[in-house]
Amino acid sequence: MSDASVAEALRSDARLVVVEAPGGCGKTFQGASFARDAAATIGDGRLLILAHTNAACDVFAARTRGLSRRVEIRTIHGLITEIAGAYHKAFGLPLDVGAWARREDGYDQLAARTATLLAHHPMIAACLARRYPLIICDEHQDASADQHAIIMSLHATGAKLRIFADPMQQIFSGNSQAEVRAAEQQWTNLVNAACRYEELDQPHRWTNGQPALGAWILAARATLKSGGQLDLTGDLPTGLTVHLADNTARRGAGFSASAEQRKPIQDRARAPSILVLTGRNDTVTALRTFFWRSLPVWEGHVRDGLEALVTHTKNNGGNAEALAAGILKFMGAVATGFSPTAFGNRLIEEARNGCVATCRGKPQLVQSIARHLVESPDHRGVARALERVRDLAFNDSSFSDVKIHHTRELAEAIQLSRYECPEEGFSELARRRSHARPALPARAISTIHKAKGLEFDNVMLLPCDRGNFGDTRKARAKLYVALSRATHSLMLVVSPSNPSPLLKIS
Amino acid sequence: MPEQTPPTTDNIPCIRRLTIQRFRGIKKLTWWPSAGVNVLLGGGDVGKTTILEAIALLLNPTNASTLSDSDYWQREYEEGFMIGAVMSLPLSCGIAQQRKTVWPWEWDGKLPKVPDLEGETEPENPVFCVRVCGTPDFELSYEICQPDESIDHFPVSVRRNIGIVRLSGDDRNDRDLRLIQGSALERLLSDKTLRSRLGRKLAESDVEGELKDEAKTALVELDGRFSKRALPAQLGLGLVGGPGFSLNALIGLTAEKNGTSLPLASWGAGTRRLAALEVAAAHQAEHPIMVVDEIERGLESYRQRVLMEELIANPSQVFVTTHSAPAVSAADAASLWYVDAGGSVGSLPADKIGAQQRRDPETFLSRVAIIAEGKTEVGFVRKLINRALGEDMRRHGIWVSDGGSNTEALTVLQSLSESGLKVGAFVDREETNNAGWTAVKEKLGDLLMRWQAGCLESNLIQHVPVDRLEDFICDLEGDSGERRRILADRLGIEDKSFAAIKDSASNLRQLIIEAATSASHPDLAAPAETKKAWKKHGQRYFKTLAGGEELADKLFDFDLWPHVAGELLPFVNAVRNAVGLPSITTVQ
Repeated sequence: MSDASVAEALRSDARLVVVEAPGGCGKTFQGASFARDAAATIGDGRLLILAHTNAACDVFAARTRGLSRRVEIRTIHGLITEIAGAYHKAFGLPLDVGAWARREDGYDQLAARTATLLAHHPMIAACLARRYPLIICDEHQDASADQHAIIMSLHATGAKLRIFADPMQQIFSGNSQAEVRAAEQQWTNLVNAACRYEELDQPHRWTNGQPALGAWILAARATLKSGGQLDLTGDLPTGLTVHLADNTARRGAGFSASAEQRKPIQDRARAPSILVLTGRNDTVTALRTFFWRSLPVWEGHVRDGLEALVTHTKNNGGNAEALAAGILKFMGAVATGFSPTAFGNRLIEEARNGCVATCRGKPQLVQSIARHLVESPDHRGVARALERVRDLAFNDSSFSDVKIHHTRELAEAIQLSRYECPEEGFSELARRRSHARPALPARAISTIHKAKGLEFDNVMLLPCDRGNFGDTRKARAKLYVALSRATHSLMLVVSPSNPSPLLKIS
Repeated sequence: MPEQTPPTTDNIPCIRRLTIQRFRGIKKLTWWPSAGVNVLLGGGDVGKTTILEAIALLLNPTNASTLSDSDYWQREYEEGFMIGAVMSLPLSCGIAQQRKTVWPWEWDGKLPKVPDLEGETEPENPVFCVRVCGTPDFELSYEICQPDESIDHFPVSVRRNIGIVRLSGDDRNDRDLRLIQGSALERLLSDKTLRSRLGRKLAESDVEGELKDEAKTALVELDGRFSKRALPAQLGLGLVGGPGFSLNALIGLTAEKNGTSLPLASWGAGTRRLAALEVAAAHQAEHPIMVVDEIERGLESYRQRVLMEELIANPSQVFVTTHSAPAVSAADAASLWYVDAGGSVGSLPADKIGAQQRRDPETFLSRVAIIAEGKTEVGFVRKLINRALGEDMRRHGIWVSDGGSNTEALTVLQSLSESGLKVGAFVDREETNNAGWTAVKEKLGDLLMRWQAGCLESNLIQHVPVDRLEDFICDLEGDSGERRRILADRLGIEDKSFAAIKDSASNLRQLIIEAATSASHPDLAAPAETKKAWKKHGQRYFKTLAGGEELADKLFDFDLWPHVAGELLPFVNAVRNAVGLPSITTVQ
């Protein structure tokens, strides 16, 4: 039983234990139960559980309740931000490095500088290693090279490591071949350096769901990992459905299908609980239309559009015309239908001319949006203008083509008006978002990236074509992440004319 | 995986830099003490003890401390005070395990630096910045200063683990031999529940039963009165705690003396202090910082020496004050420091003053130290100064010390004049090291007496009237035979009568000066025996302590003073001024 040997390895004296942990195989259970045991014997130090997301921290927190004095659970970002904050002068950064990183998208830079600092000054790592003589790393495959180096610095100065990772879920690393290879090499080196290497192989997640599906997913993982092709031609396990449908959309990222092939897809999407997964952001928007906007978009924790809007607004304060262009771009990211021809050009023109034109009907409404920018050419004006857009989109027939998909992101943009400066607002909203943890709705459309770490009763993955899942290491990981989200049923919508090379359909 | 070598964490706590602001008598002080033993010298009331107490307060292993306005400089409590230290700390003291992370700085030898991203700094020297501030509300706040300029709490648990062993100068103080919270004994035994267990045991004892009959009756009557007044009744006696009463403080070490168990506190001060130190040493799994005020207290010379040697052998950082010559001379592997009246701490570097420290430790313990270049000068200056003061100069804390030689004296003076110690000197002009002497002259002014030319002997003898030269070379018994013999030898004549010598000598005065200063034989080919003998001639004249004193007497007996007053009077007055006496116009 791998469960027993993993448990034993975790509790051994080995300084570096690496556990390859496929999703759903009880990694969190193992980690948390080890944490409970270790906390009792750790002495003056603390057990550090390093996760990558706040959500993962929450899960560990819930499972180690009562140990908070001896167990610290934090994100690797949080740890890096703390170190970087303490030595912000060495980095030439402001005291609140967290705000700086959010503002400048500087988390990678923080990690790089912190890794350098620890490499130059083992005394700092030694202090941390003394503080955290034992560190559990969760989802370590998501650690960047610098994050990995930081953790290894602590290890080199005395901290024992218990690393859980699933290299098959490594979908956040860089895009280039070189980066993918470097990440693979990092994993190989880690496994070679480990005093103990174990693998979890019991699909616990599916015990109360569809065990046959669980077993198939685990087998699929092994196949994908070893470079093989998933055979969908023979008997499929209970819970797994393959539906053949070609994507007839003309645009690359769109999705549509013939009436006949579309029906089973749309029928399945009416289930009371369904997560529709797809590979790309634009396809999410297309699918929303495909499902007649009956499914909300899961926005996850990232707000790319808002971030761009904040930067643009900050750089163009006082320039109503430029701010109008920013709004146009932002609306493109969170909605469809707010196009330059329908609204944008007019909006920019009004902002440029100071809303002096006399008009009625739709142009007058657009003018009412631009007026906010003219009166207050800053983030407050932008927020009020967006509020006006949302209002009109919901209530005015001439705006009925404007379909908002990222409602939370838009709502957050509107809230910017409450803050003194847009960056402070963005930081605060990000902070609140990570604390509030919006719950996943029962039915949703999401990218695979944003669904990482989530589990769902019923999952549909589309389109499974060559464009989305070519034969690359990264696509294999992405496909596996998508498959392993499902606990009861999984439907793959496979393109018969342009199937993914990872799937065998005939 | 790249292997990093963990930094060599010194496992001995050490204060690298001490800063005191507005604490007691010290307005501002910055000091870079050494690792190991630091011996603080200096006159009374200059703040040596305050420095020790500042360290003890900073590392106080308890939070129980009461402040009064006298703890603030000039009682200006509104301004607060601050005692800060940059310290190397072993991570085992728990500094890295506080609620908030405490971050190391890097020590550059003078200041803590925020570690930067550039350059290799091997080996690393991590330090932490800690301080205690006295607030205007008479409260203490213990703080850690982080590299990001934020301030966190400096917890009592860390202070406790760093450990401070304190032997204060207070004669009755035996706190470290009692179970007082934070004492060495309490830390050694570390039995946290003893107090409650003892309390429970004592509470069980029948106090009322022990009362005499009259006392019992009085208690019963009181109970009656309570009942009448509807106050709580059924009175009894038992152990009741309360603020200020500590059961543990009543418990202390005892030892057997003549078959009776007595508190260790009843032994002599020296024994108590050594015992306290031993208790602390027993606890030294780590090496606590020690402060020892007046190491000589209660100890005979040999025990002072032994204690000093033991402290030096121990790796702990130690701060010692002393006024004892045996302690100073035993401190040859320690760092000596001089605290001057301005409260600044000057270094007495071992390589410069080591020889002087062994030769004459009193040098460092006096109020004014005069380095005389040889025995003659020591005897001469003592007599001269005593005469100028009209009493024994030791009453004024003036000490005249043999500097060994002109060169050695210069070395000692160079560092003494930097240390803050009030120092004077009396030396020949040898025309060597002129630049060095000029620099010292600039520091010391008239306290440096360096002849315009020549030496003491030559300067005096040249003014002796010719007809009195014979008298001048008479020794204290009035006999000049031996000295005449030397003159005759130098002339190569048998007859040592003064008349014969006078006849043979082309320059009698010069001949006497040469003999008194052991001038070398002019003939290099002379027999070694003879050359050697000539080198010792001076000793028969004035090259002894007594010889110097003789010269001082003759200075006045032969009325030479007016001739040399121009050079000697400024020196004499500088010494008088240094001990707070007014200048005089002449020496009687």
